[in-house]
Amino acid sequence: MGDSQYSFSLTTFRHAFSFIRPHTLAHHRNLSPSGKLVQIEHALMAVGSGQTSLGIKAANGVVIATEKKLPSILVDETSVQKIQLMTSNIGVVYSGMGPDSRVLVRKSRKQAQQYYRLYKEPIPVTQLVRETAAVMQEFTQSGGVRPFGVSLLVAGYDDNGPQLFQVDPSGSYFSWKASAMGKNVSNAKTFLEKRYTEDMELDDAVHTAILTLKEGFEGQISGKNIEIGIIGADRKFRVLTPAEVDDYLAEVE
Amino acid sequence: MSIFEYNGSALVAMVGKNCFGIASDRRLGVQLQTIATDFRKIYKIHDKLYIGLSGLATDAQTLYQRLVFRHKLYLLREERNMKPETFASLVSALLYEKRFGPYFCQPVIAGLGDDNKPFICTMDSLGAKELAKDFVVSGSASESLYGACESMYKPDMEPDELFESISQALLASVDRDCLSGWGGHVLLVRGPLKEEWTKSDICSTKNYSMLSDQRIMK
Amino acid sequence: MAKVMADAPQKGGFSFDLCRRNEMLVKKGIQLPGFRKTGTTIVGLIFLDGVILGADTRATEGPIVADKNCEKIHYMAPNIYCCGAGTAADTEAVTDMVSSQLQLHRYSTGRESRVVTALTLLKSHLFSYQGYVSAALVLGGVDVTGPHLHTVYPHGSTDTLPFATMGSGSLAAMAVFESKYKEGLTREEGIQLVCEAICSGIFNDLGSGSNVDVCVITKGKTEYLRNHQLPNPRTYISKRGYSFAKGHTEVLSTKIIPLKVVEVAEADAMEE
Repeated sequence: MGDSQYSFSLTTFRHAFSFIRPHTLAHHRNLSPSGKLVQIEHALMAVGSGQTSLGIKAANGVVIATEKKLPSILVDETSVQKIQLMTSNIGVVYSGMGPDSRVLVRKSRKQAQQYYRLYKEPIPVTQLVRETAAVMQEFTQSGGVRPFGVSLLVAGYDDNGPQLFQVDPSGSYFSWKASAMGKNVSNAKTFLEKRYTEDMELDDAVHTAILTLKEGFEGQISGKNIEIGIIGADRKFRVLTPAEVDDYLAEVE
Repeated sequence: MSIFEYNGSALVAMVGKNCFGIASDRRLGVQLQTIATDFRKIYKIHDKLYIGLSGLATDAQTLYQRLVFRHKLYLLREERNMKPETFASLVSALLYEKRFGPYFCQPVIAGLGDDNKPFICTMDSLGAKELAKDFVVSGSASESLYGACESMYKPDMEPDELFESISQALLASVDRDCLSGWGGHVLLVRGPLKEEWTKSDICSTKNYSMLSDQRIMK
Repeated sequence: MAKVMADAPQKGGFSFDLCRRNEMLVKKGIQLPGFRKTGTTIVGLIFLDGVILGADTRATEGPIVADKNCEKIHYMAPNIYCCGAGTAADTEAVTDMVSSQLQLHRYSTGRESRVVTALTLLKSHLFSYQGYVSAALVLGGVDVTGPHLHTVYPHGSTDTLPFATMGSGSLAAMAVFESKYKEGLTREEGIQLVCEAICSGIFNDLGSGSNVDVCVITKGKTEYLRNHQLPNPRTYISKRGYSFAKGHTEVLSTKIIPLKVVEVAEADAMEE
């Protein structure tokens, strides 16, 4: 119970009330006649209008990358970090609402530590993704909360090799060879489909990631307005510094 | 009398070359009275992982049930067996959870890892792990087992040789302990040899029972 | 049912279910067991460039040596380590727990952990258990504010010292420190003095023994020198050893179970 932000579910509360006044309390937390959950649709809209993020699984590692457009030039860009570590060998990037992603990242990090303390073994990527997705699912069905307005790309490397997962607000998750989300999804995905090869090395994947971001990028791309995270066979997830990103950008040109 | 000596037990695990042995006595007693002479103290978690539980038999069985439960859940969730090291950490966590009202059990864990490397370990009833490269012991006969194993253990024993050493160490020790005895169960688990690995990939578990005193049999 | 819930994977915390039963057993005259202790010598000192920690490697269970080469210097953070004395399970659990909390704290702050943070987490846990979690610790590390060395007592009180000793061999080790410690020791002098203090524990305190572990922490670098000295090698090795002829042990029954090694299928990552 201590792990939850909401120590009791408000659903019970609502049910108690619906005995008395069912009509006033029936609202959008239900399936619509077409079988869709409207709130999830809204959450997906939030993701779809968010900044573009993408990930590519290479033969020897994974890269995730994202746009980092700031609302004003007055914002100190060094204070913003969109790619974060969940464990030393698992990194994550989001598209959608930044604050929502932080809640998920905090919960996932804690979950990873709990796993480590029980088994003295780093949590496998699939397990952490499953746990994170379970939290997201819970927020589509609990009372008093709304679904997360983010999709996540999780990049990790464990005993099963390099892995890339996308987790959506509904709590569904898939493993991808390459994926994109956010504003330019369809263009980015088409681009990735053309460029992706199975035997791609990590460096090539970084190049492809940059080229994909460049496709739909408004303005001049630089180390300051994109972020790249990589993990290789050393199983150490790392966010590249702006200088390193600039080096990669120079290689691409 | 210590609660650890209520039922009486002797447990030992030894590492050999690409194999391990785990052995226990077969007595279940209530203090000095013998209740059963074919009592099992070594439990299987999966093909390549065993746990021996010495101490209070009721706690041993309860703990075993909880461990099986946890391992089955793990298997369903992760679609793989636990590594011995992972399992040892789980046992340790389960024991430490009851730090202020412990299970009176001293586990001995023996298994083969993914690369068929033998792993043995023991812990106290609070879950303080002790990893060893050679042998581990527990139970009411542990003091004499320490002595027997210190002299009988040799590094890199082949399975047959390991069987004799672990059996003799056990028999010699239970003969100096009133609370354990009536022969023993010995389990040997051998990892597949390198060259065998490609063609037949078999590893075998030998499960021996023995009696220390022939006269009892005849 | 409550029982079913108790068997579900726990998130942590202690369970007191068996306390009543165990109390009953004590009332009936059954003696409760002792636990594995690290009747120990652990030390630490501050030298010119940082902190050096040292420990012996004996674990005892009453008068029996349970482990001749155990590890008593625990990892807390890349720049912080902690020596533990007392009940082995407690020192292990408390250091693991705090190191996990420090890791989470590092993730959320993006900064290197500080020694005081570790100290505060340790002492508040120990204080809240009123000494029943019996861990006596020597905590050392180097952070942004420089080198730090602390001792932590089981009840939660702490000290900040230039040199410290703990455990059953603390008096023997302190005698060495008191006579030889000075400010501004070099790395080599520091390691030498720590080894001397630990050896004093090993040879004069019966609860301590076997080998010397050392950990040197300086700004940006940690060296864990496992078994830095081995003053008690095994001397009683028989050349031939015992060998028993095959079939020497009388066997009642044998069951051989060939175990098919399941070819691990390509892990199916997609679950939906």
